[in-house]
Amino acid sequence: MSFLFGRRPRTNTVDLPKQAKEQISKLDGPGAAAKAEELAKTLGQMKFVLQGTQETESSPEQIYSLVTGMIQEDLLYLLALNLYRLPFESRKDAQVIFSYVLRFRPPSASPKSEPMALSYVINNRPEVLVELCNGYNHTESAAPAGTVLREVLKSDAATAIILYHDPSEGSPGAKGLTGIQPEARQSGRGVFWNFFDWIDRGSFDLSADAFNTFRDLLTKHKTIVAQYLSTNFDLFFNKYNTMLVQSQNYVTKRQSIKLLGEILLDRANYAVMTAYVDRGEHLKICMNLLRDPRKMVQYEGFHVFKVFVANPHKSIAVQKILLINRDKLLEFLRHFLEDRTEDEQFIDEREFLIKQIRNMPPTPVEPAQKPALLGSQAR
Amino acid sequence: MSIEAGASQYTVLHELGSGSFGTVYKAIDKTTGEIVAIKHIDLESTDEDIQDIQSEISILSSCTSPYVTQYKASFLRGHKLWIVMEFFGWGLKPGNLNEAHVAIICRELLLGLEYLHQEGKIHRDVKAANVLLSTSGKVKLADFGVATQLTNIKSQRNTFVGTPYWMAPEVIQEAGYDYKADIWSLGITALELINGGPPHADVHPMKVLFLIPKQSAPRLEGSQYSREFKDFIAQCLVKDCDRRPSAKELLRHKFIRSAGKVEALQELIERRQLWDGARERPSHPKYYEETLHTMSPKNDPDEWVFDTLSVIHANGQGLASGAEEALKRLDIKDAPLDYSSPPPATVIRGTVRRQPSVVLASPTKPRQASSQRRPLQPDMNFGNSASTVRVFRRVSDNSTAAQVDSDISVPGTTRDENRPPMAETVTKDAIYGRRLFNKVIDPSFQEVHAQTGNQAKRDALSRLADAWSALDAIDPEGEYQLMKLLLEKVQNDPKLSVHLSPSKTTSRDGTPQASPQKPGAKLVLAQNNPHLKSHRRRQSSMLPEDPKEKLVNLPGQAIPGMEHTKQLADVLYGRWAGGLRNRWPGA
Repeated sequence: MSFLFGRRPRTNTVDLPKQAKEQISKLDGPGAAAKAEELAKTLGQMKFVLQGTQETESSPEQIYSLVTGMIQEDLLYLLALNLYRLPFESRKDAQVIFSYVLRFRPPSASPKSEPMALSYVINNRPEVLVELCNGYNHTESAAPAGTVLREVLKSDAATAIILYHDPSEGSPGAKGLTGIQPEARQSGRGVFWNFFDWIDRGSFDLSADAFNTFRDLLTKHKTIVAQYLSTNFDLFFNKYNTMLVQSQNYVTKRQSIKLLGEILLDRANYAVMTAYVDRGEHLKICMNLLRDPRKMVQYEGFHVFKVFVANPHKSIAVQKILLINRDKLLEFLRHFLEDRTEDEQFIDEREFLIKQIRNMPPTPVEPAQKPALLGSQAR
Repeated sequence: MSIEAGASQYTVLHELGSGSFGTVYKAIDKTTGEIVAIKHIDLESTDEDIQDIQSEISILSSCTSPYVTQYKASFLRGHKLWIVMEFFGWGLKPGNLNEAHVAIICRELLLGLEYLHQEGKIHRDVKAANVLLSTSGKVKLADFGVATQLTNIKSQRNTFVGTPYWMAPEVIQEAGYDYKADIWSLGITALELINGGPPHADVHPMKVLFLIPKQSAPRLEGSQYSREFKDFIAQCLVKDCDRRPSAKELLRHKFIRSAGKVEALQELIERRQLWDGARERPSHPKYYEETLHTMSPKNDPDEWVFDTLSVIHANGQGLASGAEEALKRLDIKDAPLDYSSPPPATVIRGTVRRQPSVVLASPTKPRQASSQRRPLQPDMNFGNSASTVRVFRRVSDNSTAAQVDSDISVPGTTRDENRPPMAETVTKDAIYGRRLFNKVIDPSFQEVHAQTGNQAKRDALSRLADAWSALDAIDPEGEYQLMKLLLEKVQNDPKLSVHLSPSKTTSRDGTPQASPQKPGAKLVLAQNNPHLKSHRRRQSSMLPEDPKEKLVNLPGQAIPGMEHTKQLADVLYGRWAGGLRNRWPGA
């Protein structure tokens, strides 16, 4: 694309990160608008180096020097931090830059190895990921940051960094992956916990984007998440139930009930599920969902409710609630979402639940098995 | 932005139309005085993943181009999602255009595509119905319902998505495609605009999926057209996508470079308005309305509507009132059968289909306006109306179930569309007859046809299929009776009943097992039952049902047992048992 470089002297690829850094630092000062424009140009050039165009290939050597330059100048962090201040097109450019840089492997590296910039971020500069999450603090940066995050979350290490980020644990700054202690309970001040607010309070776009990232965090890397949820069971589900499942926001409510069902029914989360369905108060929340005026909320709620009922080792508390309401429930379920006549699986499951409830012994029975003790209760 | 504040910023003026996914209103932004189009989507009335809607919004919101409909905002109000878009004139009416018009439109579309492609976006559903025209003659690309965002501009997609007649061969073959697929669709759109319909418009859309990859690319014929125009179309329709030029390259094509100013398109609008006035129809033109969602297999057999097709086929004989009558007479509670009879189908497709429950709750009149318009084809070119052809996709590469569903929906609906809807088919038997045809007979013909190698045999089969389809058109009741008798007779014959039992898939003798056409495999799948949507959504392990089970499902026959009842219990028990074994030591 000669036109890009033809008119003015070509900036050396190596200097681009440095130049961008300078321009970012001047975004506050006098002539900020002009600087923003220059920055936009620099970012455009960087994007071009990274992705080439539809007609031209990019050169791995140039990318390599660009990526190393960006690491040296700490540009990833600066970009993440200032993402919301960039002009519209530059935010998209930044998103592309992030995606490419965090995915880039030098041609010599094994295709299975961690991309070099990602590895750097994970081990030395986890704040980049934290700041990307903080992109949800601003409408402007939410979508580009979210897009980058969801891509990065394909890496289990990056997922762990975000989940386990906890500023209250002394030694602020670069801890990276090695600093993670999976057994330590979270204070709730880490960046992950902000997702609850972003999802619950944000505008539709922001909230929905944050929810997608949140879902990825909780579903992509099952063993990490299972451990995490076990350790932080109470903190997590308290927030989840109060802020998301009982949110005033229809989309948040519906999506989070659905996600809850998915989390509980995931084999990897077996211990979490047994602990969850053991609690009477969880069942109460869930039964209220069945009575929600909105059909899709009822429907999503049903898929959580069924786990309580299908549990062969119901706790005394759960049995009590079900038994007290047995007749009502049976009557209710018989007419529950009757117009779903095409949804055979739903109909079957509803029948199954009716049968289960009908066949419960008249008084609560001590369950043969108790849920695995979870971090929250054991320690 | 607080939720309520978002809504109160706009004064809603009047309805522009209601469509597949909600109702579109004209409104004024109080803060700026600007006219906007607001689409209300009732999230309650759809099983559709909210994520799908969201992904369209996110693609739209990252576009700022004069050639693409501009997204403004979206917010929730209760369980309604409001999507605010720039207000934009008319939909395009294919045919009726001359070469100069087409050149201008193509240039504007190329500019839009150039923008999208450099952003790493593929539209995947370029066609006249998705092109909007403003009163000043500006052209915009709309409907990002199935657009996709690539994270890497060099990467490819495999998802089978789009509208058959406009789909590029590489998309159909699922061999991986990129932004060049839009260029092909643009070429087809150009042909559509000048000819009044896409190539193969008279062919069954299912068959089109075979034809496009197999046949040589369509060309523009006719001495009245310039060489440049013909060459432009030939360039767009290069079957080898690697040799197909990009949007940027095509912008340098002579046909495009010599195209006139957009103002020249104003006469189209004027003509349109006059014409519209003459018809004395309530002015309910539809403006912005996208195909917000890809096909949801469950309710969709009737979704297949092929606009431009109806231009060619429908004979416009006062059918509107007929369809309306049918709608009135039709007891929607007859669901799930309702959608199998064509007249309601046309109605349902646009508005009801996806949400029978809603319709039950409020059978509102405004919807009829759109449905009524349907059979009277010409009106569809007002905005990309509900009549917009549904797109479908395979939800994921490994979900055969979904893919099966999308396939089956093809025959059913388009048949409906190609035939003038018949209002009299409201008796139960007739409805069953129609259902029978759409779900059993037609797909079976498709399958056997696909499996048959010998040309003579194929011809014979097609003749039978045509004959049957004629029967279905004229006498669905008789069709039902015939099938009923056939089944009874088969069951009464001990030998036959054993031999033709559903469990046995008889391989046709003399027919090569491996059918020569690759897409045949797709057709074979087409027999399965499109009831899987929510199942796929729940990631259940439902196996595709034996196609023959459909017959058993017919009334008067035994209903399949409740074999799945134990499924959930088994799964959960399995988890518990598994969990025991895996329990953490010491915990």
